[in-house]
Amino acid sequence: MLSVEGLTIAADGVELVHDVSFAIAPGERVGLIGESGSGKSLTALSLMGLLPEGVTASGTARLRDRDLVGVPESRMKDLRGSELAMVFQEPMTALNPLMRVSTQVAEVMTLHGVPRDKARARAAELLGPVRLPRPEQVARAYPHQLSGGQRQRVMLAIALANGPGLLICDEPTTALDVTVQKQMLDLIAEVAPALLFITHDLAVVASVCERVLVMYGGRVVESGPIREVFTRPRHRYTEGLLAASRLTPRGTRLPTIAGSVPAAGTFPGGCEFRNRCPHADTTCEQPPALTGEGHAHACWHPADRG
Amino acid sequence: MILYLLKRLGVFVASTAVAGVLVFAFMAVLPGDPAEVALGVNATPEAVAALRAEFGTDRPAVTQFADWFGGLVTGDFGTSYVTSAPIGPQIAERLNVTVALVLGGMVIALLIAVPAGTFAAVHHRNPVGAAISAASQVGIAVPAFLAGILLVFVFAVKAQALPSGGYVPIADDPAEWLRSLLLPWLSLGLVQGAVLTRYVRSAVLDVMRDDYLRTARAKGRGRMGALWRHGLRNASVPVVTVLGLQLATLLIGAVVVERVFVIPGLGDLLLNGVAGRDLLLVQGVVMVLVAAVLLINFLVDVAYAALDPRLRGAR
Repeated sequence: MLSVEGLTIAADGVELVHDVSFAIAPGERVGLIGESGSGKSLTALSLMGLLPEGVTASGTARLRDRDLVGVPESRMKDLRGSELAMVFQEPMTALNPLMRVSTQVAEVMTLHGVPRDKARARAAELLGPVRLPRPEQVARAYPHQLSGGQRQRVMLAIALANGPGLLICDEPTTALDVTVQKQMLDLIAEVAPALLFITHDLAVVASVCERVLVMYGGRVVESGPIREVFTRPRHRYTEGLLAASRLTPRGTRLPTIAGSVPAAGTFPGGCEFRNRCPHADTTCEQPPALTGEGHAHACWHPADRG
Repeated sequence: MILYLLKRLGVFVASTAVAGVLVFAFMAVLPGDPAEVALGVNATPEAVAALRAEFGTDRPAVTQFADWFGGLVTGDFGTSYVTSAPIGPQIAERLNVTVALVLGGMVIALLIAVPAGTFAAVHHRNPVGAAISAASQVGIAVPAFLAGILLVFVFAVKAQALPSGGYVPIADDPAEWLRSLLLPWLSLGLVQGAVLTRYVRSAVLDVMRDDYLRTARAKGRGRMGALWRHGLRNASVPVVTVLGLQLATLLIGAVVVERVFVIPGLGDLLLNGVAGRDLLLVQGVVMVLVAAVLLINFLVDVAYAALDPRLRGAR
């Protein structure tokens, strides 16, 4: 379905994402996790052709047989909303406050060739499958009359309206209440054709995805099936991340990763994680390659080799 | 929606009434008795008293106010103490001219500001956008009367293409009417357009950072398409506020431009009234100007409701 090969993203000569490669099979749900600044959102935006001004991507990304990187805007615009769709983090501001929900849902269909009256009729129908109660009423509403969870469902309905091959979700539940989060995650897992799910929340990724990519410093440092990666992490960063998220017995210190994420462009050469890694030595001055079939890692001193 | 409009209408009516009291009270406390002014220093007390009775200025202030304000509602502004001519028709005639002047100036300002401001916002990173910003800065620094004099110099004196002043009523000759108003419109419009350009630019820049624009692009719109369909209406909310303030400024500023171009508008009438100590005329014109500003504020509120459902309290 989606294959990304050597994706590199740079702004003003500073590389923010280096040589990212991965693939998503039809129907597969893949998580992309990492801290803020790890390059996960940029990776997603580059696939949509929505990078901010002054930020450029190189490498290749193909969805079915269509190129996504280095393609002129006029071609990308036809793919967005039809072949691939995206749900963003902030449901409160992602909808136009001055436009009725039905108009905003219909818009994504008229933009891709559905006649206006047909799109309008379909708009309310699309709100049912994303489990919005009283779809007709929601369709007539303005965004400010809906809750955050309802708006995010509307966003999901918009994303799915044209039956895209790939759905990208960028922290879609971070701004929602915990109870609403769970329903939303179940819904996404159920309706997504193929999913790239971006989050910093390990529990969320575990509940939605089958496979996970761990990003640090603009690089994929580990990838593999969720169960594998979460029970036997290889990269020292993944290990630290999992340790920090585990519940610890009363009275013991919460394990943390030493230091903090460096600013873009100030990561150390070689392994990006070596200045925070307790196992780093001189070998780590050479950049490790992402190796291994299935469960891959980019680390000179992987965790599960003792 | 209807409740909101009724509320705003109530505010408009109430504030106009309060303004009427203030205008009347202000004129009443000014020294100078119209009857004494009219008859001169050698008049006998009996003649002054007789004239006061004729003018009605011997009555209690409250009665006078009720009489005057009651008349306003029906369009009766009273009769001038100086010229004995009814004031209402004079104001109506002059108001037409001033409204044409101000609205024309505003239209030109909008025609300049919306495209230029939007363009400057979209291209804010490159030299063209910066040049527009700089040019609007210069425009702000130029007062309308100076722009008027420069325009007269270029188009009337040098090119001899347009009249340097004077006014032809539209009923007499529509083409000449247009020609007589073109330079005054430009001198008001260029300056206001420069001011407005900056507001449009910053409003569009704000909107360009909004998430729903990214949503629109994710749906398959291009950068400009998203801005056109989703951005401009959102950007127009703050611009309407400025527009209302500018209209009020233009109305008052028209006084100066009417002088430069010898246009018989409301400002011209006001200055004549002041010069001729025509108290009731001045009172009437000031009241009309104040009411016009209040009306503009009301219309701005209506425009908000039309633009933004959140302000309507829609269900």
